[in-house]
Amino acid sequence: MASIHLQNIEKRYGGFVGVQNMSLEIADEEFLVLLGPSGCGKTTTMRMIAGLELPTGGKIVIGGEEMTEIDARDRDVAMVFQGYALYPNMSIYENIRFPLRMRGVPASEHDARIRQAADMVELGGFLDRKPGALSGGQRQRAALARAVVRQPQVFLMDEPLSNLDAKLRQSMRVQIKHMQRQLKVTTVYVTHDQIEAMTLADRIVIMNKGAIQQVGTPDQIYSDPANTFVAGFIGSPPMNLIEGTAQNGTFVAPGVTAPCPEYVRGKVTLGVRPEDCHVGGDNVQGMVYGVEPTGDTTYLTVLAGTKKIEVKAAREYRSDIDVPVAIHFDPAHLYFFGEDGQRIRGAA
Amino acid sequence: MAKARKSRGESMLVRYLVLGGWAAVCLLPILWFLSIGFRPRTEVITPQPIYWPTFSLDAWHLLMSDWPIAQYLRNSVIAVAGSVVIDLVLAIPAAYALARYEFKGREDIGFYILSTRMMAPAIVAVPIFFLFKTLGLLDSVWALMLIYAAINLSLVTWIIRSYMLDIPKELEDAARTDGAGDLTILREIIVPACLPGIITAAVIAAIFAINEFLFTLLIASTSNAYTMSVALANFTGGSDGIIYNAIALVSFIAFVPILILVILIQKHLSRGLTMGAVKG
Repeated sequence: MASIHLQNIEKRYGGFVGVQNMSLEIADEEFLVLLGPSGCGKTTTMRMIAGLELPTGGKIVIGGEEMTEIDARDRDVAMVFQGYALYPNMSIYENIRFPLRMRGVPASEHDARIRQAADMVELGGFLDRKPGALSGGQRQRAALARAVVRQPQVFLMDEPLSNLDAKLRQSMRVQIKHMQRQLKVTTVYVTHDQIEAMTLADRIVIMNKGAIQQVGTPDQIYSDPANTFVAGFIGSPPMNLIEGTAQNGTFVAPGVTAPCPEYVRGKVTLGVRPEDCHVGGDNVQGMVYGVEPTGDTTYLTVLAGTKKIEVKAAREYRSDIDVPVAIHFDPAHLYFFGEDGQRIRGAA
Repeated sequence: MAKARKSRGESMLVRYLVLGGWAAVCLLPILWFLSIGFRPRTEVITPQPIYWPTFSLDAWHLLMSDWPIAQYLRNSVIAVAGSVVIDLVLAIPAAYALARYEFKGREDIGFYILSTRMMAPAIVAVPIFFLFKTLGLLDSVWALMLIYAAINLSLVTWIIRSYMLDIPKELEDAARTDGAGDLTILREIIVPACLPGIITAAVIAAIFAINEFLFTLLIASTSNAYTMSVALANFTGGSDGIIYNAIALVSFIAFVPILILVILIQKHLSRGLTMGAVKG
């Protein structure tokens, strides 16, 4: 199959920078997820890998061959789109067959390969239908079958699940991951849904404003965020980010005090995940703002000064609002970020 | 509840009355033509209206005996059908380029193409006459075919382009990554997806072409090139005066092929082929 190298690629639209100076190595057979808010350049990056847009600078190498200026039709990549993009006038059978015809695969092989691909996504019984006669989930599976049928070097998936309802999304997610492991095809997957990113990815690339914020495994991204953007983007609810000042090993903000390393000084931001906050103790003195039981856990929002702090409390925790409450942070899981938003790390 | 249901029934009634009234207004001229076409000449112009005229085939016999209607119809069909084919062959790629390719002045070119439609046709009548005279194409259906094609090309391009703009770009991106080139995409994806638009444009072009009068009159001078629209004018002059019932009958006959065409392709005239391609 193929690895992908992006070397300093850049995409400008007039004065607007879509993607800036981006370098990335994607290993063979890897499942890489590009994650970020809308307009962060993730889709543009994917479209440049597909050849649907040409970069204004840099180099793209796929499977050892430079592809920067090569047209999409001559790259061996298959793409799945958010809106499915099935050809409305063709049956599902003809849709799946289209890439085989275009790539000059001998006609004698078509039927077997189409049926194999359709069976893989459990659409064997729907081959005669037109796309309009299928449900959303079936359409997206048909689009997947069309992508896998020609056994490409690279799969590109552009938010393939965002038009589906939540339940279907979960089952399709598992199906996509299973298929990728089975076929061992290098996959780049674009999403703005962090749950999709965490569950699917071998590695996640977090992007914002056209630039990479952090690259790492889901565990690394979650437990070792590089900056406040990553910290605030990952996790549900996301990490609490509390602005304050630090001196002599103590972090202070209105209603909040916490221990911090000696090398953390001046204006800093404290990051702490809701699951590392516990009711009781002495780090936060605040008022109960709201309590949200979800069944398996209870989310407690505490107002400290003007800052709302999310706490993942015990399942049976209940309280009225405007009641004084104290919160304790797990000292092993506190993160400090400087004024530029970057993580402050001690000299190793 | 009962009251709500009643008022709903009433609003349906109003709807049918309004639509029925409008349909009657639209159909009246056609019935009028039929009525005049099949009555004797003496009952066409009278001081008192005649609601139940005598049925007569006078006009029909007049047409069949000394009027080469088959020739005129044939000329009309050849010139119109040919012009529509020329329009589609030229307009589909042009519309695609205008809808999708990024190039400098794209919008200006699109507007320029449409603006050719805004000029009064009489302005170019004389140059066109000399052009075709030089080409030796006066009194020829081929000249009419070219002229009709030229008149309608801008409109056909513009209609097809607007349909193409509605086709999701993702479809083309998908086809491109599947390995299709521009021409394949146009042929296998775009044209089928905007077929309703192409058919609509073709029908509109055909209607304009079959009714074209000015240039036909200019180019055609004998039954070699006379089409139905110009041949009709034969009944308005000469020693016989204006033969209203023959005019009405010929008008009706000229209307029938278009009516059949529209009925045949009615289902394509409504949109909806792209449903299911993108989202749901």
